[in-house]
Order: sequence, then C-alpha cells, then structure tokens
Amino acid sequence: MDNEKNKAVGENGAVRNTPLHKGRALRGIRRYFQLLGIYARMDLASLMRDGKFMAIVITADMVSNISSISGIFLLAWKFGGIGGMDKFEVLFMLAYGNIVMGFLNMMGGCNALFPSRIIGRGQWEHMFIMPLSYGVQLTVGIFPFTGSGSFLSGMAMLWVAVRQMETVLPWWWPGALLLQLLISMVIVAASSYLFASLTFYAPVQCEEICSTVVYSMGHAMTFPLSGMPLYIRYPLLTIFPAGLTAWFPTVILLGKANTLEACYPAVFALLLSLCAAYFFRKGFRYYVKKGINRYVSGGHRS
Amino acid sequence: MFQGAIAPKDIAVRMESVSKTFTRWQRRDNITQKERVSGQEQGPKKENARENVMEGTGASGKERMFSKEKRKRIFRQEKTTVTALDNVSFQIGRGEFVAYAGPNGAGKSTTMKLLSGMLQPTSGDLSVLGMSPEKERIALMKKLGVLFGNRTELWWDHPVIQSFAWKKVVWDIPDEMYKRNLDMVTELLDMGEIRNTFARELSLGQRMRADLAMMLLHSPELILLDEPTLGLDVVAKRQMIEFLKRINREEGVTILVTSHDMDDLEEMARRILMISDGKLAFDGSFDGLRDITGNLTHFTVTTDGRMPELEGCRLLGGKHGVFEFEVDLSGLSMKTLLGMLSRAEGILDVEIRKAPIEQVIAQLYQAWK
Repeated sequence: MDNEKNKAVGENGAVRNTPLHKGRALRGIRRYFQLLGIYARMDLASLMRDGKFMAIVITADMVSNISSISGIFLLAWKFGGIGGMDKFEVLFMLAYGNIVMGFLNMMGGCNALFPSRIIGRGQWEHMFIMPLSYGVQLTVGIFPFTGSGSFLSGMAMLWVAVRQMETVLPWWWPGALLLQLLISMVIVAASSYLFASLTFYAPVQCEEICSTVVYSMGHAMTFPLSGMPLYIRYPLLTIFPAGLTAWFPTVILLGKANTLEACYPAVFALLLSLCAAYFFRKGFRYYVKKGINRYVSGGHRS
Repeated sequence: MFQGAIAPKDIAVRMESVSKTFTRWQRRDNITQKERVSGQEQGPKKENARENVMEGTGASGKERMFSKEKRKRIFRQEKTTVTALDNVSFQIGRGEFVAYAGPNGAGKSTTMKLLSGMLQPTSGDLSVLGMSPEKERIALMKKLGVLFGNRTELWWDHPVIQSFAWKKVVWDIPDEMYKRNLDMVTELLDMGEIRNTFARELSLGQRMRADLAMMLLHSPELILLDEPTLGLDVVAKRQMIEFLKRINREEGVTILVTSHDMDDLEEMARRILMISDGKLAFDGSFDGLRDITGNLTHFTVTTDGRMPELEGCRLLGGKHGVFEFEVDLSGLSMKTLLGMLSRAEGILDVEIRKAPIEQVIAQLYQAWK
C-alpha cells in the first residue's frame, strides 16, 4: 500500500482533504447505504420468520404509544385545549413527538442512539475490528420493520390532527415539517451523545445514561408548554431541551412563531451537535489512551 | 532468543519497545505507610489526633466528621499506574504459527488489543502487516482476523449464515472470495448442519467453529486468537487445532494464538513467546523452554513388584509394580540413567518421555512469582 493511500485512510492522521479522500467519502456514503440495507434485510428476516408474533409486537407497541399520550389529549379534549393550543393542535404536537422518538428508535435500534450501553458493556473496543469508520458504525443498525410501532402510530395521529386542524397550511409546509423533524431528532441524538461521553470515564455508572436522557426527553416532550411560566419554559428550551423536540417545533409549524424564533431550534441543534462531537471525541481519546476497561473501579462489566 | 533476522517484507508483526500503561484511580481506604511515617515526624500531638480519627474515639463528633484525614479518606482518589506491557519487542514472520503464553494478567490480551488497534501503546513502535493499527485501522482490518474466545461476533438472534452475509457487506468481501471461503469453511469446519441454526442455539464448540469460520471469510493474512479453545470439549478442541494447523500450512496464514492450555499450544505452534509481568520472558521453541527448566524427563518403570532404587531420580508415584520417576537430564546423563536401570533388578519394561509442557510452564510461573 502506498503512502498516499495510507494517509487518506488514516483515522487519526492529519491528511483529510486529498482528492483520494473525497473519493473515499463518496464510497463511504455508498457503504453506509449498503449497511443500512443489510440491517434492514436482517430486520425483515426477523419479521418474516414469525409474522404473527411480530404483528402482535408492532400492534402492542402502537397501542402502548397511543395510550401513553392519550392522557394529555383527553385533557385537551375535556378543556377545549391547553395553553392556547386547541385539542387537535395538541394532538399534532403529540404525533410530532411520537414521530421523532419513533424514527430515532427505528434508526438507533442497535444501540446507536444509546452509545453509553455499547461503551458501558465493553462492546466499544470490539467495534474496532470492523473495517469501518467509527462514525459509520455508530449510525448503522436499524430496525425499520420491527421497530416501527411508535413511528407508525405517530404518522397515523399526525394524519388525523392535520385533517382536523382549522389552520390552512401553505404548500411548503410539508418541507418545513420534515426540516423541523430532522432538527428535533438531531437535538435528541446530540443530547444522548453528549451525555454518553461521560461513559468513557465511568463505564459502569453511566451505562444507562443515554436511555435516561432520551426517555426523560420523551416523557417531558409530551406536555404543551404554551402558557407555562418562563422559569419552566426557558430551561426546557435550553438546559434540558425537551421543549425543542415537540412543543416549540409545533408552535413554529402552526405559524405562531416569528422568523427569529423559527431559526432558534436549528441554531441550537448545530451548537449542541458540535458540543457533543467535541466531548465525545475527547472521551474516546481518553478511552483509547488510558484503557479504561479493566483498571478502574468503574470499568465496564464484561 | 529464537528470533532470527527476518526480511522486512516478510514481517507480519513487529513490536519494538512497546509499553502500555493504564491509569488506575481508586479511593484510599487506609492511610498509607508513608503518611503514618510523616505523621510520626510531625510530633506526638498530630499522631494522636490521627489515631483518634482512625479509631473513632477521643475526638468530638464534629471534629471526627470534619477532620482532614477523614475527608481525605472519603473524597481523595489515589492515582496509580499499571504497567501492562513493559518495553516488549518481538517480530513474527509471515506464515509463522506462534504461541503467546503467560500467567493471568501478564499482558497477553493487552498485546492482542494493541495489535488489533483496540488500544494504543503508551510508547514504542508497532506495525502489523506493514501497517500501523492506530493510523491505518480500516485497511488493516481487511487483512486481519481477530477472535476472542470469550466473545462472539455472531448475531445472536439470527441464523449463522445471516451473520456471514452481514460480514460480507461490512468487510466488503467480493462475491467470488466469499463463495470460495464459505465453501472451504463449510467443508473443513463441518458447518453444514449449523449454518442455518440460530447463534443462540449453538453449543460452545459449535459457536467457536462458527466464529472461526466467520473470521476467515475475508481471507485474513494474519489471525490473532485469544484463547480460542476456552471451554471446548476434546473433540471440538481437536477439530479447531487441526483446522488452524491446516490453514497455516496450506494457506500460509500467520497465526498468533494465546491459551492457557500448553499442550494445545505445543501441538499447534513451533515457537512460543512467553510474557510475564508485562515483560517478554522467553522467545523460542518449546524444547528451548524445557531446557530452561533443566530438561525434565519423565519415565515409567514396570517391575515385578519391587521398587527400583534410582539415585538422582524423583519418584512421582507407583502402584502395582508401575513406578513413575522424574529426572533432570541436564544433571544426570542418559547413559548414567540407562546404566542404573540395567543394573536394577526385576525390571520388565521402561518408557521414557519428555515432561509435559504444562509442568515446565508451571515451574516457570512459580519461579517468576
């Protein structure tokens, strides 16, 4: 192997912007979709192996998801809305949240959304034996069929809510919806990775930190924050950004926010992602250099 | 030392003065000896206060709660450095079959993890198949096979063949190579029956075979095996050993294997690297290893019931006229031994053999303690 090629593939090397590297980046994207394909095929194989059982699982998942948010919707129904949002706007918000969490669970099924589990269980270093970059490895492992219950129930609720809402939606609205969904997902995933960086230092203690963060966000996102005092609303839009994963995007999509406010989730998502990437890489370097696996009281349990 | 001059292009593994240290943080449970000594130097008053803290008597509750020593003991962590590998150097030529042995905690798995890019060395130079595991991990992993006996790479809830298909995509294995290797491992590892079995349903031996088969699908040039025979029964172990010897002989695959089963290692490898306390303690042949401990030899003497008196030989046991002795042939020549045996009365049969390598190694481990 010649030196130029070596430099281009080196993960920790400085050379990144060679034409060869750009070619590799394109191949990397192709490989990424190939990998998504094999995981999707494996998931479909699971589904086809026992269709009846899987149908029950998906249905139960959908019923469970709808039940978990029905309390908020029934309150909105009973009182004609919550905090300035009518009952179908509340339903829209709940559907939006379900789609965000459902899609993330579907795409992050193999613990890609919960990297602290991978690190805490001592599986992290074993990922290194695959000839894939770490980034690609962390983003693959999907359950598009068996893990789709929450996403499907969210889509169904969204359809009902949009049909029942009195707001007239402009032609570009579906595009804005997709963009907001993407931003919300980035916020959830970045929060998870930000906290996951702690696992590099204390694998056992932080093994489930990502699930705590993600599920807390999932629970907190289901309540409409309109009309809530600022000292509750602001922390939920900054320190613990659950408000940016359903309520605030709903406000934007319903045309109740000004242009500046509408840009806030995107800016926040960008900053949070950069922050998460920085700390995750820092933790990763610490892990590889210091070898956390055996020699600390909080070393992982494998 | 065994290692001879290997041409650079024929080197599969090169470790040069590699050290790996780990940082350990732990709470201090007791006041250290050093602190006790410094406490004594500071005078009797402080010493008494310290003792009071230790024993929980003498001082008031508030003093005890906020005492400096108590706070230190609760919150202060002690940093220590664990040296897993200490200046280790060796080379392995392409096509070699090398055993890597040492007591528990000697640094075997750390070496394997360094070679496979899972960890980075604290100092020293490391190259595997001419590449740096740290900087060229992705390219290296396409040529390297790694198997940890205590861990499976199979997908638990899928048939084995599904894991193979996954491997094909992840390693980007060309169709032709995949088919050829799949046919080979299916035949040689008797995978026909278990290919369509779920990984979770496999026995340990079957699982190891499947893991080994999966590892070989991308035609690795170098294989790192960490305790591959762990927990296998006699038949499964034999099957694995024969297979490894065959791919080393016929395909020229370089193999570095660790195990605690020295008899297995001796059967597989021609060279053994021994590591102790992070340092390379021996690099040579198994016979060379025996020489270190003094060319121990065992022999069994069958008599008409009388026990032969053999000076310089140690009786290991005897029953119904069959006696087993141990002799160090570096101190007593074979000629002298045979002379003593020919003079002894009532001898019906004699069988001489090398001491089991397990015993040789056990003696070494004891000596290193």
